[in-house]
Amino acid sequence: MKRLPAQKGMLHYLVSKVRPDIGRTIEKTGVIETIVVGLGAQGTRHAGLMQEFGTNVTAGIAPGRGGTRIHETVPVYDTVKDCLEEYPNIVAASIWRHYSTARDATVEVIESGIPLVLLITEGIPLRDVRDILVAARRKKTLLLGGNTPGVIFPPEGIKIGMLPNVFYPEETSPGVFGPHGVTIVSRSGAILYHMSDALASAGIAQNAVLGIGGDGAIGSTFQDLIPLVMGYKNTELVVLAGEIGGSMEETLAQNIEKNRHLYPKPLVAIISGRHAPEGKTMGHAGAIVSPGQAYGTFESKKAALERAGVDVVNSQYELIDVVGSKLKGKKYFQTERYYEKMRETWEAKPKKRGWGTLITKVAPNTLMVSGYLLQDLIEKASFLETAHLLIKGELPDKQVLEEHRRRAFEASQIEAPVFSWSDSDDISKTLASFLLLDEHVAKFPQAGKDGPVQKAVFAIGRFARYLARRLGTESALNGADADEPFSAIVSRAISGNNIVDPHYARMLEAMIVASVDHGVTPPSAQATIIAASTRAAYEVAVAHGIGAITDVHGGAGAKAAEFFRRCTAESRQEGISIDEATRSLMSEYVKAGRRIEGMGHRIHTDDPRRDTLWKLARECEVAGDSVAVSKIAGAVFEQVKGISLPINVDGVIGSIVADMGLGSSVAKALFVYGRLAGLSAHYFEEIATQPQMRRINFAEAVYRGKELRTFPRGR
Amino acid sequence: MRLYEYEAKKVFQAMGIPVPKQYGVVHSLKDLEGVDLKFPLMLKAMVLVGGRGKAGGIKKIKNLAEAKSVAKGLLSMKIKGYSVETILVEECLEEKAACYIGATMDPSSFNNVVIVSASGGVDIEEVAKSQPEAIIKEELEGNDRELHPEVAGRLALKLAEGLGASSLADGLSSIISSLYATYQKYDAKVCEVNPLLVTEKGPVAVDAKLVLDDNALYRHADLFKMLGLSDRRHDVAEPTRNEQRAMAAGFPYVDLLQEDAKKDPEKLYVGIVPGGAGYGIFSIDEVANVGRKYFDGKVVPVNFMDSGGGPPQGRVAEMFHLLMDYPIVDVLITSRFGGISSCDVFIRGLVQCLQERHEKKQRVLPIYGRMVGTDLPSAHAFLEKARSDMPEILKDLHMIIGNQKIMAEVIREGLEEAFKARRASR
Repeated sequence: MKRLPAQKGMLHYLVSKVRPDIGRTIEKTGVIETIVVGLGAQGTRHAGLMQEFGTNVTAGIAPGRGGTRIHETVPVYDTVKDCLEEYPNIVAASIWRHYSTARDATVEVIESGIPLVLLITEGIPLRDVRDILVAARRKKTLLLGGNTPGVIFPPEGIKIGMLPNVFYPEETSPGVFGPHGVTIVSRSGAILYHMSDALASAGIAQNAVLGIGGDGAIGSTFQDLIPLVMGYKNTELVVLAGEIGGSMEETLAQNIEKNRHLYPKPLVAIISGRHAPEGKTMGHAGAIVSPGQAYGTFESKKAALERAGVDVVNSQYELIDVVGSKLKGKKYFQTERYYEKMRETWEAKPKKRGWGTLITKVAPNTLMVSGYLLQDLIEKASFLETAHLLIKGELPDKQVLEEHRRRAFEASQIEAPVFSWSDSDDISKTLASFLLLDEHVAKFPQAGKDGPVQKAVFAIGRFARYLARRLGTESALNGADADEPFSAIVSRAISGNNIVDPHYARMLEAMIVASVDHGVTPPSAQATIIAASTRAAYEVAVAHGIGAITDVHGGAGAKAAEFFRRCTAESRQEGISIDEATRSLMSEYVKAGRRIEGMGHRIHTDDPRRDTLWKLARECEVAGDSVAVSKIAGAVFEQVKGISLPINVDGVIGSIVADMGLGSSVAKALFVYGRLAGLSAHYFEEIATQPQMRRINFAEAVYRGKELRTFPRGR
Repeated sequence: MRLYEYEAKKVFQAMGIPVPKQYGVVHSLKDLEGVDLKFPLMLKAMVLVGGRGKAGGIKKIKNLAEAKSVAKGLLSMKIKGYSVETILVEECLEEKAACYIGATMDPSSFNNVVIVSASGGVDIEEVAKSQPEAIIKEELEGNDRELHPEVAGRLALKLAEGLGASSLADGLSSIISSLYATYQKYDAKVCEVNPLLVTEKGPVAVDAKLVLDDNALYRHADLFKMLGLSDRRHDVAEPTRNEQRAMAAGFPYVDLLQEDAKKDPEKLYVGIVPGGAGYGIFSIDEVANVGRKYFDGKVVPVNFMDSGGGPPQGRVAEMFHLLMDYPIVDVLITSRFGGISSCDVFIRGLVQCLQERHEKKQRVLPIYGRMVGTDLPSAHAFLEKARSDMPEILKDLHMIIGNQKIMAEVIREGLEEAFKARRASR
């Protein structure tokens, strides 16, 4: 489908008429940016439908919800002003607020200078509408509605409002849209479908459809809009769809008689309500024939318009006949193309929108955090950088990173909460308990643009202290210098060694980064997200996730470390080769029906993290016999059991931990440490983008974040 | 919502507009006994339409006997279809002159307008037509809650001059300001005094018209309290039985025929379940037009309905029940086209209606229609299955799936079938 470029369409033309400066911006960028004001069920839903149709929905406005996002990707601002500071070129706003608050919201939009405003809200008190009109006239805003279904520009593929995708543009060749056609301007939404259906059945295209609104007082009337759209060179005829009630059609007729030059193109009026009884409101507030009034009836409108030389019709047949003859039988597309589109539209399976995450893309053998491959992050990025990326979607600059480093260092130097644990407790349980009990984390503010990332960085710093307390390495941590890289702090906490070996520290950090996240489906992420959906506190929700890391989930590294240690010990003791020792131990395990941990993965056959970790183990000079076992484990297993089950990232981490001479439980501690960053990101994403207490189908989640990009530098 | 005269006067009085003394508001002759009467007085029938005076609903009364007999007459009267259930008993004032003041919104510019005329006491629309120079109109650009004193003064002076007594200007100015303030404060669509009588004691609002904006009623709990009203009033005209039933079920519906309309056996009476309000209005025309063009005008649409906006299944069923229970109807036309409403919910509601009627052995009318829009595939699948499961129940349902035919064509074919069936049955 080749759409008409925005610069050539009617919307651009209309905007240029009102605000030439914004018109010129569109000419340069080719982009028409819109916002959605009022994010209740309707506003939010239609923001998504507009996006699907092709409209650029740049932002949403909802007081008190600034900093959150709708459809996971559209940022929400508290005020229009806040939004315009980030996005100064907003062209149009659709307003979906409740009728009782629509006035203030609309006046705010108008005052902000946005040139095109679609007031969707129905039933706004007339006094409020007049306040809105006074503001719009002062700011020369092009205001449509209230109670407008919105506008749609089929050639450009832009709609603002709630009109469904049933209109058909000119086709210069199949699938290539042209700008010519009929413009429909209507008081009612429902009638638009039937008018366009009638025209399309005769091959007549709509280049724009404008709903002006069915309420008793509205922003733009027929006489405001029709001369405007007739000025667009590609509009070849205008259909106005009017109805009983009010005097808009009569006023238009007077205006035509007075200012013929403003109406240079054929105009056909379809007026409904010929058979309407007096004194009864017909659905629309404006559609009522008031007894005793000289205007507002079908007859008064028809007579006035005919006096002004406008053809008035009252049925689909007549509309097709009159419009067709005025256009001399011109066809803008093959009607079968229209029917085909409608068949496709109506017969399409309802799209499951699912829900989205911007954090990590998980696909077979691909792991990508906000567009960066995880293996690149393992090799080139620090833990704090990766944490920042997980939460903010971008890498931090130098200054911010230094602030993070300092904050994490300071957090690591504060005493851990006091409680007692048993050494037989799962290390994840101890770490979760520290987090739950830590009033420093609880008190750390999370509001504002940078609140979440700062809080997560603080928690990462605190975790070094928890680890040191649990592993009995606090004296090494206390000896840290305020200027040390954070990897040194981590190294102190894990090794208990006061002298930091940069290679050793780097290896630890790489294993932590390798563990940061695996999307929304791991049980730990699910636990955190479910808690976040109830709006539990940060430390509670993240502790939920950490608590879910056990021997079953996230504990494979520790188990693998033990297995590899046994292989190497056996090789030493029995004086046999590593290969043989591995084979014999594996056979033993398989015979006994025991699971060998660190093998296989439910998604990856070729875990992208694996090779990078092996490479780093070699570079950091920590690779020993266990790593050697890990490299042959997959092949040996296949020989023993006949099943191809490659080593996974847990297995590799287990082997490196074993070779570094660390306790097996450190493998799990590293996993937990890394996940702390990922879980934090999921927590903040959930509270910023999803309704509270939603029903979560984790299998339905879709990655909607940044596409693949190159990591900008080396290590 | 329209207020009764005595209610509007209560509001005016609270806003500083002088009104005649009200002796009482009565609903029966017995009520009248409890009222302290000072003759002469006025008895005024309280109905929510204009033209009461001409219809004999306003009487000057000199004594008790007359009061009783007139009250009895009024209470058994109907004015333009409204039965009189309430009478306002109030002071009778000696008039020196009568004039008109009003505030409303201009229907084409949507600006507020204040209108005054020295020709009061008669239909102001008539005055506007016959002697437009007698109407003084001020259109206001802003939407201020109070009238600028200069504007009020200017209008008052012109009005006073028209009445031939410039000395009245100050008093009129204050009343005009109060009227405008009332209009704005209470979200009125029309706020009008006609006539405003000039008496010995100064100008007095002898009649009062206040039409409130329905959309703004939610913010006038204070007004409802002042008037002793608990809920909004359905006004304009008394709802018919069908209209009441639709209202209770939660969808807009208007009868196009009188309740007691006689059925012409030559004609085909068509009930319409149309979709949204806009097509609801248009489909009435379309049915009538197709009837005129192809069937000698022997086709009568019977109703307006707004069935758009995604009604739940039960409500859809009720829309069809209502029209099938309406004895005059011969055939139904229906259309589903659009983005919000689900075809699936719609067809399930329609089938539910047919099943229920079949079970209860109620009358089933043929339905001709077209269905396009959201959830069409599931609606189609449901309908196919329903057809094979219960062909007998669905034999009168003729539904086109998809928009290969425009609605006008669907209507024409449906009516043709209905006429054919009628001819065959005779």
